Amino acid sequence: MNGLIITMVIATLIPIYEAWQDDDIWQKLLAFASIATKTSIMILVISVLRDDWMIGVVGVLILSVGNAALMLLAQVLKRVNESY
Amino acid sequence: MLINILSYACIACGIVFWYWGTWPLVGNRSLLFKLHSLSVADTLGSMAIIIGLLLQISHEWPLLVLALIALAVWNTTLGYVLAYCSSDANHPIVPLTRAEDEA
Repeated sequence: MNGLIITMVIATLIPIYEAWQDDDIWQKLLAFASIATKTSIMILVISVLRDDWMIGVVGVLILSVGNAALMLLAQVLKRVNESY
Repeated sequence: MLINILSYACIACGIVFWYWGTWPLVGNRSLLFKLHSLSVADTLGSMAIIIGLLLQISHEWPLLVLALIALAVWNTTLGYVLAYCSSDANHPIVPLTRAEDEA
């Protein structure tokens, strides 16, 4: 199970690298959405690994409400781009 | 024993999906191509991982089923919203149909 977590951390490093090196705001947003999903799945895996469901609830909360914030952010970005 | 193997197979399948879909993010492809592969990887891969966890520990199923539903609904909606918002700004998709209307 430890190897599993390490593989998942390496998979999460790819969007982090992309968000760091790309200047296009939409590609950054895409990378951030990917980081959010991958991190919450990692939280769920760790909660199963430790058999601790307080951590699992946090992961499910991020999965269920975290994407809404990104959608709002995308709408705001679109409006800002339109106004220029 | 069999359930354990099945669970690890699901998790491994999910991680393979993750790498397959996240790798194009580094290249110079268009935003919509990246969005497509990323939403396939993040939705289907993560769902496979959660099903693997569900087989591993089945007594906490309500939480994991909630995670599955949240993934299926919100990730697809987010993909649509991102495609809609980004295509208006720099990469217009709409003008094709507009040109057809004018002609």
